[in-house]
Amino acid sequence: MSISERFAELAHVRDMLAAVEADPSRIVMQKILSPTEAVIEGRPTILVGTNNYLGLTFEPEILDAACAAVREQGSGTTGSRMANGSYFSHARLEEDFAAFYDMPSAMVFSTGYQTNLGLLMGLVRPGDTVLLDAHSHACLFDGCQASGADFSVFRHNDPEDLRKRLRRLGDKARETLVIAEGLYSMLGDIAPLAELCAVAKEFGAWFMVDEAHSFGVYGEKGRGLCEEVGILDQVDFITGTFSKSLASLGGFCVSRHPEMRLLRYGSRPYVFTASSSPANIAAASAALRVIRARPELKTKLWENAQRLHDGLSALGCEIASPVSPVIAVRVPAPEAGARAWNALLENGVYVNLVVPPAAPEGASLLRCSLSAGHSPEQIDRVIAAFAQVRSEAGAGAAQGAL
Amino acid sequence: MSHDANNLEDEITAMLLERLARFSTRATGLHPQADLARDLNLDSVNMMELLMELEDHYDVSIPLNTMADVSTIADLADRVRKVVETRS
Repeated sequence: MSISERFAELAHVRDMLAAVEADPSRIVMQKILSPTEAVIEGRPTILVGTNNYLGLTFEPEILDAACAAVREQGSGTTGSRMANGSYFSHARLEEDFAAFYDMPSAMVFSTGYQTNLGLLMGLVRPGDTVLLDAHSHACLFDGCQASGADFSVFRHNDPEDLRKRLRRLGDKARETLVIAEGLYSMLGDIAPLAELCAVAKEFGAWFMVDEAHSFGVYGEKGRGLCEEVGILDQVDFITGTFSKSLASLGGFCVSRHPEMRLLRYGSRPYVFTASSSPANIAAASAALRVIRARPELKTKLWENAQRLHDGLSALGCEIASPVSPVIAVRVPAPEAGARAWNALLENGVYVNLVVPPAAPEGASLLRCSLSAGHSPEQIDRVIAAFAQVRSEAGAGAAQGAL
Repeated sequence: MSHDANNLEDEITAMLLERLARFSTRATGLHPQADLARDLNLDSVNMMELLMELEDHYDVSIPLNTMADVSTIADLADRVRKVVETRS
């Protein structure tokens, strides 16, 4: 495979997307009006595909903290903490996460992607074994690949399948790292974490949970699905991102093992990357304070999720999972999905179009992510747009488009 | 390869040809030298599913990271045979 061939392959992907008018790179938000609205193609558009679960990206307290940090600490850190030293704000945010989870160790990373890459490349090496859920995010697969460890998948959300595969590993099961997510971002389904954790512990394996989409959304204090199902004292590593509920950019890992902090000395994605900008750290820090102080945001998010789930169900849409802040409407084929996605845009609604292999189980999805920032009126307008698109598709096509 | 190894590889190849029939087209056909990605258009999820089925059928573990240089049905059959033989 040459570089020229690679360019040709990527151009083919672009052309395929363009042929069905589904190239996501054409979506430019010309003006950001609020956490839930932007101008796209000249039209004010309701955003239902941002993962801005708590709607905090324009929260005055967070904006003030980020602006103050830029003034006080500058626009960037200009390097790695292991080379340049740590800003006090990064160290303090790690203490805040450790205190929030009541765990001895926490580390922050520069992005959510790098958090999982950094944890995996720091923890496991060639000769080690990892078992991860088949629907895991690309950064978990990439982290496994880059680590050099032997990695295999278990069937999605299937504790018995995990047990079978751990048994197959024999003596190696004992030190195997098992990975699941809290809320799966494409289908919007949650993992049976207590059951998966119990199986992992039965074999003496380590258990890691990525709470990227569930942090701030599940659990009494918003600490994620591990908190909700009561396994915070058993799970070995929890990762999360700043770029969803925390309305910033970066990521964190917490652990009940004090030794996790040692990864600073051996995690290449931590050592060889500039640390997050002061503004990002200050925004995440302020958002964490907001999450702790305002549990009503979570309540609002769930009310919005229920409203959209009810509305789309009443229209007859095939929704992939029970109610959660990710509501994925199944579409029979990528072409039908692209038509519906464009029609929704023309009706002033932006959702995520997801096609295989990013959409699991061969489906194409019109993926909606809810926000506490959505008003009931916005949700109703989204439902009305889906109704409009369904009726147009029903009139023009032999099969319903969604 | 020994006679037994040949038999095992033939058996795995036959199973792969059966399971991959739905990916074949008139243009590419289905044969041991067919490229899984280029000819049959298997994506990463299809490949994972196929590996899980093979793992279950032979009761072995076949790590995904050992698939980097597997391109064709014949490559995959050879890789699976070696894993199964190691277990035996």
